[in-house]
Amino acid sequence: MLKEKTFAKAFTASLPVLMGYTAMGMAAGLLLAGRVNRPDIALWAFFSSISSISGALQFAMVDWIVNRTALLDVALLTLFLNIRYAMYGLSLLEKFRGIGFWKKCYLIWSLTDETFALEADSRFPDKKTNTRYCLQVALLNHSYWVFGVTAGALAGKIIPFSTRGIDFAMTALFLVVLTDQCRERTNRIPAMIGMISAIAGRVFFSVDNMLIPAMILMTAAFLIFRKKLEKHLASGEN
Amino acid sequence: MESQTVFIILIIAVTAAVTVLLRAFPFLLFSTGKKCPEVISYIGKVLSPAAIAMLVIYCFCSVYRDKTFASGGFGIPELAGSITVIVLHWWKKNPLLSIICGTTVYMLILQNFF
Repeated sequence: MLKEKTFAKAFTASLPVLMGYTAMGMAAGLLLAGRVNRPDIALWAFFSSISSISGALQFAMVDWIVNRTALLDVALLTLFLNIRYAMYGLSLLEKFRGIGFWKKCYLIWSLTDETFALEADSRFPDKKTNTRYCLQVALLNHSYWVFGVTAGALAGKIIPFSTRGIDFAMTALFLVVLTDQCRERTNRIPAMIGMISAIAGRVFFSVDNMLIPAMILMTAAFLIFRKKLEKHLASGEN
Repeated sequence: MESQTVFIILIIAVTAAVTVLLRAFPFLLFSTGKKCPEVISYIGKVLSPAAIAMLVIYCFCSVYRDKTFASGGFGIPELAGSITVIVLHWWKKNPLLSIICGTTVYMLILQNFF
């Protein structure tokens, strides 16, 4: 297929992502500029969005910068927050097999939820066209995200308004993701276990130290109740 | 360099490294056609909703890090904001709409009453 043709297809497919990423990125950029008061914040918004294209992370990062969260906690939180990305790769192993090293590196680096959805859906007859399409989709989505976050941070610097309480945007984002996940019946019990573990973590530890015990607790619970939960998961599949 | 700048650079480096490693994980481990151990795919499946639920609770706790429950409005702003988000999102399925409306409700209540 002609080069221009795949690009037109990639661009059309990425249009919903354009809307979503610029808008969501702007919200994250606004939050960052609202809470981290420094003249060069848009620059950092740019670097952080280009290096790890990840919605929830972009929001959470603001809190970590403000509270000077310990780096080990940051690493563990990122791990748990983004663990689903490891699953995406599993279903793209075949599709990405045989792609050149650097192209593959970029495809892996830029693999977000939305990009995954579009790439997993691509069905061109030959491998080369498929690869080109995937790269174009990845690059387009990546640029929308970087644009959104940077523009949001710039706007936050320029438009003066009371930002007290704007950090609720992060809570709201997590609630949105949770609401979506709970539409699927089998996700509700795992979510419940996560919530109970977090409350237990807070009861026994301070706010700043609650997350790691909570994560250990939920992982232990998942391993202990594995048989029951797997049966529960399977019940949702048929 | 000023210490906050160093800290921001470190945060960006750590988050990027972990995220990229996660994305690369299957390609590094299973490139030769080995199958993923079942326990890992199981944990990955259940951990996603659990981690998000945990972070919601963490956000609520983190609001009251520097203020008492009473001075923060007894949780009323959080409750109102959260209900707005959940109801709107269950109904309209539009993430941005839910986040903007929920945050606006929260900010209005917080700034005008507490």
